[in-house]
Amino acid sequence: MTRFKDPDGVAAALRSESYLADHGLSVALFLALSMGRPLLLEGEPGVGKTEVARALARVLDAELIRLQCYEGIDAAQALYEWDYARQLLYARLLQSGELAAEDAIHRLYDAPFLQERPLLAAIRAGSRAVLLVDEVDRADDEFEAFLLEALSDFAVTIPELGTVRSDDGSAPVVVLTSNRTRELHDALKRRCLYHWIDFPGVEREAEIVRLRVPEAGDRLSLSVATSIARLRGLDLAKPPGAAEAIDWAAALARLGYDEVTEAGAAETLGLAVKNHDDLATVSARLSELTD
Amino acid sequence: MIDVAQAVGFGRALRGAGLSVETRRVAAFREASGRLPLTDLYWAGRATLVSRHDEIAVFDRVFGVFFDGGRDERPPGLAVAARRRAVGLGSTAFSPDPRGSRAEVAAASAAEVLRRKSFADCTPDELAALHRLLVQLRLVAPVRRTRRRRLAPAGEPDLRRTIRRAFRTGAEPVELVWRARRQRPRRIVFLLDVSGSMAAYSRALLVFAHAAVRADRRFEVFAFGTRLTRLTPALDTMRPSEALRRATEAVADWEGGTRIGPSLQTFLDGYGRHGLARGAVVVVCSDGLEVGDPALVGEQMRRMSRLAHRVVWINPLRASPEYEPLARGMAAALPYVDVFASGHSLESLEEVARAIEAARTRRARP
Repeated sequence: MTRFKDPDGVAAALRSESYLADHGLSVALFLALSMGRPLLLEGEPGVGKTEVARALARVLDAELIRLQCYEGIDAAQALYEWDYARQLLYARLLQSGELAAEDAIHRLYDAPFLQERPLLAAIRAGSRAVLLVDEVDRADDEFEAFLLEALSDFAVTIPELGTVRSDDGSAPVVVLTSNRTRELHDALKRRCLYHWIDFPGVEREAEIVRLRVPEAGDRLSLSVATSIARLRGLDLAKPPGAAEAIDWAAALARLGYDEVTEAGAAETLGLAVKNHDDLATVSARLSELTD
Repeated sequence: MIDVAQAVGFGRALRGAGLSVETRRVAAFREASGRLPLTDLYWAGRATLVSRHDEIAVFDRVFGVFFDGGRDERPPGLAVAARRRAVGLGSTAFSPDPRGSRAEVAAASAAEVLRRKSFADCTPDELAALHRLLVQLRLVAPVRRTRRRRLAPAGEPDLRRTIRRAFRTGAEPVELVWRARRQRPRRIVFLLDVSGSMAAYSRALLVFAHAAVRADRRFEVFAFGTRLTRLTPALDTMRPSEALRRATEAVADWEGGTRIGPSLQTFLDGYGRHGLARGAVVVVCSDGLEVGDPALVGEQMRRMSRLAHRVVWINPLRASPEYEPLARGMAAALPYVDVFASGHSLESLEEVARAIEAARTRRARP
């Protein structure tokens, strides 16, 4: 798995996939890959936590398997479920003698009737997959314990089928993200490497915008990055993230602006500021966003 | 790779600063340092020894002292001593009465009087007795439906179990199995005003909150005066007196000034918006005497009421029959409050507990 010699190698590879990682993040990713440990990413919404996993999958030429967590998610939704309708149909066919009955019985709980869910798919794929466990803080703590178990052996036992693991015994690369709506369990945090993604500085944000919105050009990219940085300084309830910067730049470029002007900002502010109270605050201070 | 002694020493220094650094993490740190150039030692530590955002600042400080300024020369006892300096609030035991049953009757009616007595008028002994009664006050949170389902006598069909059982009866689904959404108690979040004007009540209200937190670990307690302090970790003890002592220690501005609006804002920005207040019952305990801008209080309470399931405001001043919410902060907050109670005595807190439990249905508000 360690294709990379050092963190700079990871950064360069991510860059070729249009993701700009700062040094801390490339170190964390490099360590996660070379030590074979899951990486827990935290940061304000919109700093590109999920995007890291996507870019990493492209870099490693692996399949991105995403497990979106939500309240009430359980093993059946994360791991596997039997296809009941098919099982029932099959059993009926057996009954009416349309199928030979000898070994047909245990085929009832065989691979064709198994519906694979993300976690099982990732375990089976091994190093050919990047598993993204998104917003793990939304799941309940029971699920966290279950996840911890799956992440420690990368093997799952299905009573009717036996133990499932990847063909070559390798484990997938695992990236977890959390929005800190609740404290994660210590045991899970202990297994993971940790990185907090900060908002990028103006320079790097401008570069991100330029990379993702080529039609924006140098001037507009820098101007948008500057205004976004000022918005973040305004003490908003929801400060804009990188995603907002990209959308905003794309919108301004589409409308033919080559920098953030008061008029342009007024027309497109909803793309950068997405909270009603914040909109009121910012609208009153539009002139401060531009030079 | 840095040597073992150094890695272990650094781990110990971090532990001394309050981070939980298990041996396993130290081993991971050492392994990481071996895979990176020495210039990346900082990041090797950041990825392996830290697992929360607020730990980063502590890590930075310890890292600076340990690796740049040599070993931390301060004796290890110093920090602990400083933390213990704050005034401990000793528990006054409720002395059992040695006399017979007549005295018990007297004690019972005394307890009845005590139930109605305002915390502000109580002697320290009476307060200690009240604290013992407060602990027994059970706070039951209203429930919400979760997305998890369980077996139920009625509800929606449970396909998995129905099919499983159908195999027993020749693949004929004779017995239908149902499932329904599970219900869970909502979280209760306490925001306690510990400023000077609330001094007569804040300890009793803290014991009230502590009793609730002990019953359900998901409950949260915050204190605010001029700034917001999360008290939940400090209250993680069984003994109310110990909880009080730790809480007064944790709050830097106990019995100082009040800045309600900014405190509410800090709470909503830092915790509430991240999900702590969403769908919860928020109990604000404050007299609403805001020295700052009352408009900010109103604005933040509006945000709060949109996030929370119910907002309860406990204001001891309300106990007085002539009370009118004239304090500008209180007046600004009131439109967004669902339950407005006094909470100045045990009896009144019992009423609050009943009101919280009854808050099952969604309120209707213009």
